[in-house]
Amino acid sequence: MTYQDKVRADVHPAALMYAEEEKSGRLSRREFLTRATALGLAAPMAYGLIGVPTPARAQEDKPMGGTLRMEMETRALKDPRVADWSQIANVYRGWLEYLVQYERDGSLTPMLLESWEANEDATQFTLNVRQGVTWNNGDPFTAEDVVYNITRWCDGTVEGNSMAGRMAALVDPDTNQLREGAIETVDDHTIVLNLSAPDIAIIVNTADYPAALVHPSYSGGDPSENPVGTGPYIPEEVEIGVRVTLVKNPDHQWWGTEVFGGPYLDRIEYIDYGTDPAAVVSAVESGEIDITYQSVGDFIEIFNALGWTESEVVTASTITVRFNQANAPYDNVDVRRALQMAVSNDIVLELGYNDRGVVAENHHVCPIHPEYADIGPAEYDPEAALELLTSAGHAETEFELISIDDAWQATSCDAVAAQLRDAGVNITRTVLPGSTFWNDWLTYPFSATEWNMRPLGVQIMNLAYKSGVAWNETAYSNPDFDAALAEAGSIADADARREVMARMEEMLRADGVVIQPYWRSLYRHYRAEVMGAEMHPTFEHHHYKWAIQA
Amino acid sequence: MLRFIAGRILTMLLTALCLTFVVFFLTNLGPNLEKVAKSEIGVRISDAEVESWLARNGYAQPVLVRYGEWLGVLPGWTGEAADGTPTGRCVAQDQSLEEADRFCGILQGDWGYSTVFRAPVSEIIARSLALTGKLMFWVMAVMVPGALLLGVLAGMREGSRLDRSLSTFAITTTATPEYVSGVVFIAVFASTAVGLRWFNGSATSAMEDITFVNFTLPVMTIALYGMGYIARMTRASMAEVMTAQYIRTARLKGVRFRDIVLRHALRNALIAPFTVIMLQFPWLLNGVVIVETLFNYKGFGWTLVQAAGNNDIELLLGVSVVSVFVVLVTQLISDIGYVYLNPRIRIS
Repeated sequence: MTYQDKVRADVHPAALMYAEEEKSGRLSRREFLTRATALGLAAPMAYGLIGVPTPARAQEDKPMGGTLRMEMETRALKDPRVADWSQIANVYRGWLEYLVQYERDGSLTPMLLESWEANEDATQFTLNVRQGVTWNNGDPFTAEDVVYNITRWCDGTVEGNSMAGRMAALVDPDTNQLREGAIETVDDHTIVLNLSAPDIAIIVNTADYPAALVHPSYSGGDPSENPVGTGPYIPEEVEIGVRVTLVKNPDHQWWGTEVFGGPYLDRIEYIDYGTDPAAVVSAVESGEIDITYQSVGDFIEIFNALGWTESEVVTASTITVRFNQANAPYDNVDVRRALQMAVSNDIVLELGYNDRGVVAENHHVCPIHPEYADIGPAEYDPEAALELLTSAGHAETEFELISIDDAWQATSCDAVAAQLRDAGVNITRTVLPGSTFWNDWLTYPFSATEWNMRPLGVQIMNLAYKSGVAWNETAYSNPDFDAALAEAGSIADADARREVMARMEEMLRADGVVIQPYWRSLYRHYRAEVMGAEMHPTFEHHHYKWAIQA
Repeated sequence: MLRFIAGRILTMLLTALCLTFVVFFLTNLGPNLEKVAKSEIGVRISDAEVESWLARNGYAQPVLVRYGEWLGVLPGWTGEAADGTPTGRCVAQDQSLEEADRFCGILQGDWGYSTVFRAPVSEIIARSLALTGKLMFWVMAVMVPGALLLGVLAGMREGSRLDRSLSTFAITTTATPEYVSGVVFIAVFASTAVGLRWFNGSATSAMEDITFVNFTLPVMTIALYGMGYIARMTRASMAEVMTAQYIRTARLKGVRFRDIVLRHALRNALIAPFTVIMLQFPWLLNGVVIVETLFNYKGFGWTLVQAAGNNDIELLLGVSVVSVFVVLVTQLISDIGYVYLNPRIRIS
């Protein structure tokens, strides 16, 4: 029996099927990795199934010690499950860790889980909790801690708890709490999740940034006040709006050192330069930082010209120029459709983001999502748009498009507004500073929102377009869509799921929910001395991989 | 004299009272309170939840009552949280109502809590004032001697070539606002666009460690603007003194020109600029708003911008109180100093 055969014996059948799809070219390697590892395969095994050697993780010797200074907005810290901003999570990532971790290449790395398995129809997941992990206060990390955290995530009565939506298959819809019998503790390091409906995304969801595991002693509020966690760093200084520093925890033996190596850096400084990228350029030119959080628009060229190393990652991150259907006149589907039709998405990509991305099709499912269905490009017909608007009685209505003052988002909205103006729509633009914009991002009648990527198409639908969920900024509520979404979430087979997704994409387009012009690549720049801090598609900072040469 | 000072202090208190009330009133308008509620418990809450949150956190009372609480002349509100634990303006976490103070306003030394920075207002203001203090010190150290030198040199021989060129310089700098000169300086001296890169275009590192490289541009941006103005005042004053009878007498007696300027003219010529220099302090306080934001230096001006942008009520009020204090105290010093410099003026 060859190694290959032995592997196959205990591999999830769907993973084998995915491997065939990958080999026949129906599935990209990234999609394959995401899906196979989500079903419980270790990354090397997944690579083995498609006959590709595991790419050597950059094994270059990383030097120990040193300080890395990164530019990042330092927002007020929150309870992880209600965190609404990657930057918040990147601070508590220093001492709080996740069950699994989403990697740059689309695969999942087990962190506080050692491994997991799904049953045939993805309704039952067995989680093997990692052995030998301790909290930095000395307590052992056990299955009980995982159950405690899943229970917290499932509490839908907490305002803004976005994890409740992600854990829907474990939540009792009547009490908005963890469903009885949803979790079985088998032993100290094994638990079984019994889902109410098949959910292929449940493991991937625990890699999302609000899913950091907290200690049972944590009582809510700012997690840095009593930083008990399993991770290798602890916060030293937390000055909101100014700086946050993480230092290596001298009193804690981190479990990951044996598994991954690291942590290398002694100290990580996050320095706040506000939302204006020009301030970051000044900081780079002044030598005040070693790495940017994210480089955008024209500034990518500027940083390249300064001789910094560029790191690019292709993502399903996007901007949605969305209508809030709870506000007139956007409650009228014809108005929404007309505004959509008056905008050519490739022009927005060119003007708003320097063509650094892929044109999107107004339905928020990306070609890199496994279940993406190609339903053709978005309709562009400015004349028909004006006719539709006129017949809806809104030819003279003054529309207002709101955006944040962030460079590329404002430019993209300018490109949208300019096209609407060319089509004969009466539109004004309002640009709000970053400090105030996010106060009301869910309720603006017509505005633009930046959306980070999620590994699966159904995830983004569950977060943003399902009726009544916390981040449904469009106020979209369509029972047919919700039914289709529930159906799609239970189909482990991507080809079968694609058929449902095609219907959902059509519904989103027919209802004129968003103008979603493009998918963007993400960039980051750093000094040549920085190692292991490449751009991540979901902005995650894996501190233990970072290093800096003296 | 004492009566004069007492009068001034009374004016100061009255002004502070009026100004803080205006700020309080504006930040407590309905939509602003809604913003506070949403930033505290999340953006997606219904109007009813906003109302109940505002009521539970003491925002539902009349503005005057709440202003009194902030001042510390009325007892702080008390209530109950959703889970039954006592809450109140003066009740800290895990404290019972009996343990808590009845009054906790600015009169009791309690400046409140900043919702943006999640820290006590007094801490934020102390931090930012210390940073702005450093900036102001260096601005004054560059601006005052520079401006006086320019003014005296220009004013001692009115209409000369030296006067014309120095005046042109002074008018140019004072006619260029900081948001123009700051950007030009960054482009010329700090960016790769021109390639000089002598200085830093960001002063963030100066918050911890001031160096010539990281602090020159913000200091020069503010100093040059004020310098031109003070230099013009000094020049006018100097030119006027130089035409006075006693200077002419000194010249006729054959005193050296250098001695005339240094011994006889200078002291009298500095009376007018002294007042102008004192007036620069309050003006610096708002000049730093632009410069600190531009150079990302987190002092008083930057804090004001953040507080206003986020409707951080108690921080804004704290900033207002400090501003009133700085403006009126420097005015007072200016008036008193004027008396000592100019014996012809008596306050009685």
